[in-house]
Amino acid sequence: MSTARNDINGASHSPVSAIYVENLVKTYSGRRVLDGVDLDVREGEFYALMGPNGSGKTTLAAIAASVITQDSGVVEIHGKRPEQAKGLIGYVPQESFSSPELSGKENLIYFASLLGYSRGEARRLTEEMLRQVGLSREGDKRVAKYSGGMRKRLEVATAMFPGIRVLILDEPTTGLDPGARRSFFGMLKEKMDATATILLVTHIGSDAELASRVGLIDNGRIIAEGTADELKREYAVEDVITVETAVRAEGVVSILQGFGIDGKVAELEAGYRIYSRDGDRAMADVVRSLDQAGYKVLRIEMGRPTLEDVFFRLTEKNVQEVTG
Amino acid sequence: MRQISAAYSRALKEALRDRVTLFWRMSWPIIWLIIASFLFTGDVPPEALPRVRGAMAISMTVFALMISGMSGLPASIALDRKNGLLAKLRSMPVKPYRDLIGRVCAVTTFSLLAAVVIMLLGMALGARFAGTGVAILHAMGFILLVICASAGVGLVIGTLVKKLQGAVMTGVGIAVVTSAMSGLFAPYGSLPAPLQAFARAYPVSSARASIVDLLIGPGAVGYDPLTSGHVALTIALSIALLVVGTVLYSRLGWKLE
Repeated sequence: MSTARNDINGASHSPVSAIYVENLVKTYSGRRVLDGVDLDVREGEFYALMGPNGSGKTTLAAIAASVITQDSGVVEIHGKRPEQAKGLIGYVPQESFSSPELSGKENLIYFASLLGYSRGEARRLTEEMLRQVGLSREGDKRVAKYSGGMRKRLEVATAMFPGIRVLILDEPTTGLDPGARRSFFGMLKEKMDATATILLVTHIGSDAELASRVGLIDNGRIIAEGTADELKREYAVEDVITVETAVRAEGVVSILQGFGIDGKVAELEAGYRIYSRDGDRAMADVVRSLDQAGYKVLRIEMGRPTLEDVFFRLTEKNVQEVTG
Repeated sequence: MRQISAAYSRALKEALRDRVTLFWRMSWPIIWLIIASFLFTGDVPPEALPRVRGAMAISMTVFALMISGMSGLPASIALDRKNGLLAKLRSMPVKPYRDLIGRVCAVTTFSLLAAVVIMLLGMALGARFAGTGVAILHAMGFILLVICASAGVGLVIGTLVKKLQGAVMTGVGIAVVTSAMSGLFAPYGSLPAPLQAFARAYPVSSARASIVDLLIGPGAVGYDPLTSGHVALTIALSIALLVVGTVLYSRLGWKLE
């Protein structure tokens, strides 16, 4: 696996650790949420930590952002303990923390003032930040009138003030439609300082694929790490077949198990997914077998594996549907 | 100073712009004031009516301050916790006590505005006050003590009760129950002896009694709340409540585990 050191603009930097984590352990109510995690995110790198709910990714981000403390292990932000590096950290939690009663501008002035900027400096910076995140025209509107995407862009702006070198984003695109997600990451790519490091916590494979390196986390452990392409090459070389039938039934699963590698069938919100080394032949066989068994096929398609598929192949869990 | 001013400005704007919350924070004491001024004054001699209404206006002003400090303040803390703002603040180089000072100053400003509105409304309903300029200044001091005590209780609730609904209901509950127990809604003389003792010791009701004594006249309360012992106890307990709330919030208010 590589340890790519490319930033989101493709520039390379000296291999300095921006986020260094060693043997990190965190326990809640007797359950090890983080179970000996090691992580080394280099300066300027865009690193995605991908896993299902309850995998420990949000806890890891919160510890790195100095929001909570670990039970044991080492966490360093540019060589300092997180609580000593707060001025370098821009943290965007999953919840919408901006005040809906205040305008976008007032929200940013509030955060700029908390960082110690004078009223005048805060106003000047706020104008600049709103322009950077594409909200100049909406700056005077109350946040209550913003769309989900606009609100998230505003909240990311609170983590982009000068001096911030590590941006920690926890599920920033949850609830956004694909267009808003593309727009959000487009803005991020364009505006982030090339030396800034981004740690993206997500359960969405297409978001994670934008990162220069991806870590897959499950049950409090990093189970695989590398570029998105490396992970797919190593763990999901097969064709991915998605099948949607008129009814959901055990019989459908049984039939599909006969065609999937190792008999694995992923149950999706709409349909099923199997992996095959000869997708073209398997597609024809699947349709025929389901038809003979009386199950009407509504949709069948073949594609290349995604990071969700990699995660499923490694854990037999569907990254977007597992909870708890 | 910038962090305090930022927290103050944000909290005050939120309190004034959220119309539903603003309405209910103000309307509770106003509704009570209107009801009490007209329904519960039937057997009061006409010449005493303006002073009785004055005492009612003071009681409802104090009740508004209690609601603002004991319910509004913890509600805003719980909402900020729920919305992730406290997590965001923990990740920033911000000290909890500065956020706290900003919040308490905002509650004080809001409370003073509420006090002016309710007193003016009381006067419009026929309330009349006596008292010299010095008495008015002293009364304002006691109003500040009510705000201190209420904000102290509010900070304790906001720190210990994490959920929004829980924080609101606990605050309203404590405000209403202690008001009833300490004679805010009924004459001091009608309370049983244990509750009279509570009314004299509870800093909010004791401060209210002092304001009534100062602005309506001696004897209006049923006991003398302005003895040096009473005043010292009211000041000490009000400040003690604020200190307890401050220490708790500073140490545990942002703890998210």
